[in-house]
Amino acid sequence: MKHRSLVVLSIVALLATVVFSASLIAGQQRSAQPAAQPAAQPRPAAATPARPATQTAAKPYVVPKTVDGQPDLQGYWGNGTYTPLERPQNVTKEFYTEEEYKTVLKTRASGEDEQTTPGTTADVHYDFTQFALDTSQSPIPLNLRTSLIIDPPNGRLPARVGAQAGAGGGRGAGPGGGGGRGAGGGAAAAPAGGGRGAAPGGGGGANNQYDSIQNMPIGSRCIIMGGSGPPLMDAGYNSVYQIVQGKDQVMIVTEMIHDVRIIPIGDRPLPPEQLKQWIGMSRGHYEGNTLVVETTNFNGRRPFQGAGQNLRITERFTRVADDKIDYTFTATDETTWVSPWTASVPLTKEKGPIFEFACHETNYGPANILAGARATEKAAADAARK
Amino acid sequence: MKATRLKLAAIATIVALLGAVPVWAHHAFAAEFDVNKPVTLKGTMTKWDMVNPHSWFHVDVKGPDGKVVEWMVEGGSPNTLIRLGVTKYTIKPGTELTVEGYQAKEGSNKAVGRNFILPDGTRLFLSLSGAVPGGAPDK
Repeated sequence: MKHRSLVVLSIVALLATVVFSASLIAGQQRSAQPAAQPAAQPRPAAATPARPATQTAAKPYVVPKTVDGQPDLQGYWGNGTYTPLERPQNVTKEFYTEEEYKTVLKTRASGEDEQTTPGTTADVHYDFTQFALDTSQSPIPLNLRTSLIIDPPNGRLPARVGAQAGAGGGRGAGPGGGGGRGAGGGAAAAPAGGGRGAAPGGGGGANNQYDSIQNMPIGSRCIIMGGSGPPLMDAGYNSVYQIVQGKDQVMIVTEMIHDVRIIPIGDRPLPPEQLKQWIGMSRGHYEGNTLVVETTNFNGRRPFQGAGQNLRITERFTRVADDKIDYTFTATDETTWVSPWTASVPLTKEKGPIFEFACHETNYGPANILAGARATEKAAADAARK
Repeated sequence: MKATRLKLAAIATIVALLGAVPVWAHHAFAAEFDVNKPVTLKGTMTKWDMVNPHSWFHVDVKGPDGKVVEWMVEGGSPNTLIRLGVTKYTIKPGTELTVEGYQAKEGSNKAVGRNFILPDGTRLFLSLSGAVPGGAPDK
């Protein structure tokens, strides 16, 4: 009986999916708007609205300036989101309607509230909601986009270099770092160095990751986590940043896990190519009201969506309201993707201040894990001797 | 109206098919704690380490023999709670707590706290009853 009910439910779910997909396509055909049409090339942030331009044009926002006359981006900002990096395969339009978006938001939030089953591996964890770490308990900017990727127009990662025709996109999370929950599910939604759960990465393989501390994931070791950037992607929780501007430098502090990016402004040359860093090396300049930051010199040990040392990131920060920065980044790596791609990740005003993280000092987890692995090995050896 | 309902149901379905949002872990908790060692600890919280990447609660648990044993219970990062107004004074030392969780694999008195339950049955922090809207006062 139970089985039969499940079969019926499955059929209903599949039918509903087909109907919904058809309605999305139909809706797209009915309400195609020029503003929502994707451009062929990566676009500046100002041209990438988080909602379709259907409303009456509001009064243009006057961007405040710093004492040095630069566009003022300073303050605390967050980028928590339920929007996946890649557009789900079964969604065919660029924007949800507000009604659809609200439903998606509600469903995502209730998914985070779901309780795990006692006695299962998934239950061996604290409850996110009890610590207000679910995305819905932080400010989430309105974003009607169905994917963070805005170029290519299909909202999906370009094909990999050397991949067979038609095999592009659709990859899962990057190789980890244990530093981020990703951008709300969907396919391949994890941020740089992210990875759901505690995927290995930056350390040894999964088979021996508990042999030594050096083999453990870099996020678990508090070396670097997903939100550190560049690019700035949802860290999963504590996804908060502080931007401070000086005349010749911009500083971006990441709460999780307190990485600090110091970005020289102007035409200062980059250090030699052989000098590599976890978060690369950045240089910035202003184009009108937009801060443009170019980053290269990644050490490649925290691959971003499969790209390593050859990755180049171009970020664009444009303040479009007192409480919002349009933030886009373009990722380029000719050895990884057949073309550059661009994503839009709106930053919304957050309540400060940034809180300390001190991850290394109080990171008891790895010691407990290694001790647990040794205890398990000893128990197995004792059992084998009997 | 019917069409709207169908559409909403379809959205819910499509979201469900995308996969539920899994619990994110800074590290593999099932490698640190033993799924086969569920524990229910009833005791008095003596200290809350509001530290990262994870909180630690110190709980004095009285055993059947009357002996008090200190347990350390791992919880979540406190940062968002702090931003919501929770302070070190919100959960005072001396608070009675029941913790449902799993014991450390290496067998010491450490556990992950799946649920932190107050004497009135409510879950710790969920109501944020001790939170101070607008910020964390220094008192």
